[in-house]
Amino acid sequence: MFESTAINSVLAVVLTVIVCFIISTLLPGIERKYIHARIQQRIGPIVIAPGIMAPLKFMFKENVEISSPVPKLYKILPIICFIVVLCVLITLTPQAYKIPALSSLVAIVGFLKVEEICYVLMGSLSKSVMSLRMPFPDLVKGGAHLNAQRSFVEDISAKRSLRMITYGSFPLYLALFAPVTAARSIFLQDIVAYQQANGPFLFTVSGAIAAIVFFIGYMIILNEYPFSIIKAKSDVIEGPYMEYAAKYRSIVYLTRGFFMFVLGCVFSVLFIGIPPSIFSWGILVNIAVALIFVFMMGILSAFSPVFTNRQLLPTILGATLLGVLSIVLGLL
Amino acid sequence: MDEKVPRSNIIETEIPMGTVHPAALEPYRVRFFVEDEIVQEAEITIGVNHRGIERIMEGLPVQKANALTEKICGICSNSHIWNSCRTAEMGLGIEIPERAEYIRVIMGELERLHSHFLYLAHGCEVLSHETFSMRVFYLREIVMELLAMIGGNRVQYGCSVLGGVRPRCELDEAKILRIKEDMDKVEEGLTDFANRFTADPIVMSRIAGIGVLPQKQAIELAVTGPTLRATGVARDLRTTMFEYDNFDFNVVTQPDGDVKSNLLMRALESFESIKIIRQAIADIPEGKLVNHDWEMVDTDITESYIEVPRGTLYHSYALESGRVRHCIIRTPSMANIGAMQYACIGDQITDAQLCIVQCDPCFTCTDRAIEIIRR
Repeated sequence: MFESTAINSVLAVVLTVIVCFIISTLLPGIERKYIHARIQQRIGPIVIAPGIMAPLKFMFKENVEISSPVPKLYKILPIICFIVVLCVLITLTPQAYKIPALSSLVAIVGFLKVEEICYVLMGSLSKSVMSLRMPFPDLVKGGAHLNAQRSFVEDISAKRSLRMITYGSFPLYLALFAPVTAARSIFLQDIVAYQQANGPFLFTVSGAIAAIVFFIGYMIILNEYPFSIIKAKSDVIEGPYMEYAAKYRSIVYLTRGFFMFVLGCVFSVLFIGIPPSIFSWGILVNIAVALIFVFMMGILSAFSPVFTNRQLLPTILGATLLGVLSIVLGLL
Repeated sequence: MDEKVPRSNIIETEIPMGTVHPAALEPYRVRFFVEDEIVQEAEITIGVNHRGIERIMEGLPVQKANALTEKICGICSNSHIWNSCRTAEMGLGIEIPERAEYIRVIMGELERLHSHFLYLAHGCEVLSHETFSMRVFYLREIVMELLAMIGGNRVQYGCSVLGGVRPRCELDEAKILRIKEDMDKVEEGLTDFANRFTADPIVMSRIAGIGVLPQKQAIELAVTGPTLRATGVARDLRTTMFEYDNFDFNVVTQPDGDVKSNLLMRALESFESIKIIRQAIADIPEGKLVNHDWEMVDTDITESYIEVPRGTLYHSYALESGRVRHCIIRTPSMANIGAMQYACIGDQITDAQLCIVQCDPCFTCTDRAIEIIRR
């Protein structure tokens, strides 16, 4: 009896993950084709190009040896990022609620922190040709400040990622903990049960404010315009991902789409009380939420230039204050 | 406005960018010296695209040299061939038919429009605002089609020849009507873009007060063209060019010398170009396109300066037996490099490429100057 239940649970989780992953591959294409391209009055790529065709193409490309001081670690980082996103999704499934240590907000925050640390490591381990050192001509022609320490553009990206860990991710984590004020528990099972009994947290004042904060945090952690300072095209270009080629770049693309979907599922669980499960119609809500977030993100990013520190800091401060307000309102 | 002073003492970190960088349209190298992401000094190095075009031109028949000058730049190709022909015509004393002069002005102003639109689109792209960038590119497309209609090509038009313009650049009634209609479309689109752009608070926060070049510094650095006019100096060579004697237009200036002033400067100047084109097609005189009534003689060094989209363009020729004995070409970006280095100081490194782009660089065209350092 126990064995058959365990097998069923594992099967349910595996099927849910597979379905979610397949749907997630369409999200980058939907964003680019139906939002960015429409707004910019151009045809855009076919829907499956950014999320399916590009990763497939890169998967079978010959790899270029990466210029990095620790190439093996650098190459394994996208795989770690993918596993982290996968773990977050597994945490959200109802079957995982039987393991309370795994299915809690602390676990989700922990996984997301690993993701953020990966960006720091990627940036600091990448030495691309985009900021190629050419000290010889500088020395010959007597260039300025020859004693300055030379740095690669990815180093800036790593430093920015570190800053984002310290203050950039505040809004997201505050929004994640806002439902706790209503459910009085950090366990997902309790948060879901509370909302199924009392209605979605989203439809409370505290929940509505927290949802706005969550969306800002969602865009920050996905490094989407206008919050994409760690990969701003005007200076650090692709930032941490710059040197990834072939199958490693393919994993980067797949992870991005998957992360979009999983963050949508996080919102569904925490703010609507519907976990992703292949055996429930609720998964349609998860898909709808993921799509709505992609649409909103696409519209905002299409009409915004990238923020520099001058715009980013006040925005994060404002979102953090909103997050605090939502928690205070939730506690009242 | 406080003067920005480059730091002379030791600076923490150098961030080299290039020679390949997606925010730069051309290959150049820039070394940013930063402290906590604030640029303390910048050093731009060009020279990776040197083609020795002046040396190639020496010994060529002047007509071939004229055609070759068009290859100097893909954006202001017409300006180069126009000034090259103008220099040779001044040396040889050739009179240009009035109709040809009008067509040269129309081509020059259309080129200014497409150059300024490229500048605006590139500026928006460096801001990472793709939607605005795309919208300006659509406007530019109208102008590019007009240039192709008149010159036969989208980039190398080959419009000017010694003594006038090529017969294929003749403007008949249908072409004039299309130019008139398309100028209405461009004006409407540009007005719409300028209104949206200036009403966007996020964009304004990215560009206002960034990359400031004070007027005093701009004059000291001998900055030229719209970059100079964006600091409040009303200096435009078109007011001294005989080709523009019959046209009524304003010299646009902006007060602040920052990225906002530079972007608005080009947008407002585009309206003046539209005005000139409208006057030209309304008043274009009848007559022949080329004056063949001239003789080739040896000339001493003849110089010509014209106002092109980026500023002052200089050509000089000396001719001997119908061939080029001496040739020097100086493009506006040569004078503006100092401004680019200066504008970056004190701003975030994310804004640094924008500060360079605000001076509308064209380094590939500039890559023929040889600097002689006497020690």
